[in-house]
Amino acid sequence: MMRTIEVLLVIIIITGAFIIASFFAVLPMPRRVSPLNLRRLALTTLQTLDLDYHLSETAFKPTDDEAWDQIQVALSACLPPNIVYNLTVYEVQSGSGTELYIRMKSISNAESLGIQSDASSYLVASSNVTFRVIPEKIGEHGGGTLYILNCSDANGWWITGYTAQSLAEDLYKLLSPYFQATIMVQNTTQLGQILNGTKISDSPYENVTKAVIINTFGECVPIPTEYCQGYGRESEGYYPGVNYPYTRYCYTLGQRTRVYNWTWISIVGYPLYYVSNTVVFANENNTYGIYGMRKVYQGGINAFLQGLDNQPYQYSETRIAYSISQLVQLSSEASYYCNYYGLYPSPNQISSRALNDSIVNNYNLSIALYVFNQVGNLIPGAVYRHIFKGGTNVTGSLLALGLTRTPDIRLTALGLLSYYKPRLYRSEYTAAGTSRLVILQLGQTGGI
Amino acid sequence: MAGSTIDHLVSVTVFLGAILVFISLFNQTLQTAILYQRHRNLATKCSDLLDNMLLNPGTPSYWGRSNVTPTGFGLQDPEFTQYRLSPFSLMRLNYTPGKPVFYPKTGKYYSNITMGFGKSLLVPFNEVINYSTAARLLGVNGTYGFSLTITPIVTVSITELQLNPLQLRVDVRGAGFPLIYANVSHCLITVKATGGQGAYPSYTVDYGSALTDSEGSVLLTFPSFDGEEESYVLIAYAHLSGLVGVGYHEHVQYTGSYVVPFVEDFDTRRVLIAHSWDVHGGDNPAEISYNATFVLLTEDFTLREMPLENSTGKVGKINYGVGKPYQNITIPTYNPGILVITYRKSAQESGVVLMPWGISSMAFPVTFGEDPFGKVWVATDIRQVIVNNIAYQAKLALWSFEGYQVIG
Repeated sequence: MMRTIEVLLVIIIITGAFIIASFFAVLPMPRRVSPLNLRRLALTTLQTLDLDYHLSETAFKPTDDEAWDQIQVALSACLPPNIVYNLTVYEVQSGSGTELYIRMKSISNAESLGIQSDASSYLVASSNVTFRVIPEKIGEHGGGTLYILNCSDANGWWITGYTAQSLAEDLYKLLSPYFQATIMVQNTTQLGQILNGTKISDSPYENVTKAVIINTFGECVPIPTEYCQGYGRESEGYYPGVNYPYTRYCYTLGQRTRVYNWTWISIVGYPLYYVSNTVVFANENNTYGIYGMRKVYQGGINAFLQGLDNQPYQYSETRIAYSISQLVQLSSEASYYCNYYGLYPSPNQISSRALNDSIVNNYNLSIALYVFNQVGNLIPGAVYRHIFKGGTNVTGSLLALGLTRTPDIRLTALGLLSYYKPRLYRSEYTAAGTSRLVILQLGQTGGI
Repeated sequence: MAGSTIDHLVSVTVFLGAILVFISLFNQTLQTAILYQRHRNLATKCSDLLDNMLLNPGTPSYWGRSNVTPTGFGLQDPEFTQYRLSPFSLMRLNYTPGKPVFYPKTGKYYSNITMGFGKSLLVPFNEVINYSTAARLLGVNGTYGFSLTITPIVTVSITELQLNPLQLRVDVRGAGFPLIYANVSHCLITVKATGGQGAYPSYTVDYGSALTDSEGSVLLTFPSFDGEEESYVLIAYAHLSGLVGVGYHEHVQYTGSYVVPFVEDFDTRRVLIAHSWDVHGGDNPAEISYNATFVLLTEDFTLREMPLENSTGKVGKINYGVGKPYQNITIPTYNPGILVITYRKSAQESGVVLMPWGISSMAFPVTFGEDPFGKVWVATDIRQVIVNNIAYQAKLALWSFEGYQVIG
């Protein structure tokens, strides 16, 4: 009898355990088991309503404006019938006030949102406010001068549809906010001064060393008169007895790039294919009827690289740039900076003058940035840094975009900015009166 | 002794019986809890998978505009962020409910989205992404099944009230409410089948706008247009507070023979123009002439014509049967638009067919994946998405291939 009583006691204990376990093991309601992600639905609804900035505009309108009715109609129309909502707009306060947000307007289609709801917030900015973006200046710690070749006494080539001067103007608008000093080189005389290491402006920020020089003349480069045949520095610009004697000038450019640690930029085509001076070469043309220039052919870039690497000058017409049969694509790094700097050139381009990667070993170069992805052994666009073997210091750089004409100078700007990576400091979005916070709370009705 | 034995037997029997009962009770509670957890997990997986599809463009990012099979599945428009989908990636999804179309002259089957006469999108099977490929790329092959539906939020339905003069009623509805006081911009394309035998049809375009009433409807009257005599198509865009929807209605004079456009190649944007008899059969086929035009939707909701690259295929004649080749044209852009092809047999027998270039330009829906009907437990989640400025709702239904059977 005792054992039976013990068993009954055990049953009572287990029953108690079951009741207690059932009491604590509360199973969720079916709706919570497989819920809609209301937070995401709310966010995507707000984004849809703000597709044409209608929500942003309405958020700043008076509370009795009819635009609020349109928002309510749109909200009701785009949400499923079993979803109830409450949309509230708050004014964002700044400073040390006690209230950070002040409620401005609320619209809803139900008195309560049921037992379960979720919300998303969306910050909208007033169209009446301009948010400033202040770029970091390249060269705040040395260098920082941008020279844009705008020489009035030179002609360009392979910049079809543009003039060097119009490109220079556009580049100035695009890039001057990023540099301590941006200086237009107005003629070949001023270019000659820079080549001598002399400043050409009164700007206290001008610094010839570590400067960036953009050659807006395409495949052609301006040549100062003194470097031409029969003038004072002929030996640095003219090498007689060869097919294209002005390749010697390109060697000098390479030397100066190394000595002053410049970043030389070729915006399109075969770099340094012609030299131009409309005064000295007034009666000579590039064989295509453009007067004021002389061909230096394929040897120009070879001579430049020799000068950059401090090799002895050796005349060479060896071809080092070739055409790529397929479209070339922006590198992932350059694509990233498209968004950062708000520059959106086409990501696919045609490259007919891509440099062979053999130059990297031949001239002690390293690739600091691919603007375009390399295709085989050809590099459509990149920044090459020169560092002497065994050294660590950069002694000159070259940004060469071997694309076909006509040039898109946004690619030049993108390459340059992707290389230097100046930061952008954006103004605060929480300044008083500039922003409103929209919160959309959604709940589900029906069911349990 | 006997009493003790009986006591022992009774107690053991009662104890075993009680244990069995309690095991059953606890088991039921535990199984229900496990089931709830699995369902919860499925709902979370559903939400994650939907975001995974909608918030990445796939690899390569422009796969929707090419013939390549992606190595990563995603539907986001690579030119935007957030929930904006590529109208071309959606075009390359195999439309599950559509009955495949076979075109003998290319020897290919085509995925078929048809929204009524003359409104179809036919994409070759060798260029669409099928369900198993997508499931494999998403990493759910063999573990989960899914069905993705992307439907326009705003439904613009057009009803013909009378033909002469033409009067149409446009009803604009959202998912849960009519779109009252919405702007409706419309474009009436009228086929001009003028000229003698063999002449090519032309068309005229008239624009207008109106406001829906408190029931989301608006009456459009075209006093100088006789719908009994001429073929026409009306395309209407309704817009309110960021919500944009598209609707269309057409009335053709002749359906005996017509043109059927097929997307042939995404890389080269080539579209084939076939004779309807070669595709759908029919009685009394005849040679027809056609005139193809590509139109883009502008920001002010008017249509702008873009010249077709292949001027030789822009107009032409097309016949049926063996030895009669199809025509082809090249769409000039990757911007979404509508290919409008007017056709005629004679001055009285004409019509017009439309094909969207980019799924959104005619607000075509997308249904991709398996049919969830009959599955044990299906979790769903929804997002509002934008496809080239047209508001859509993306809904994913997900179920697990693991068993959910519960004993007890």
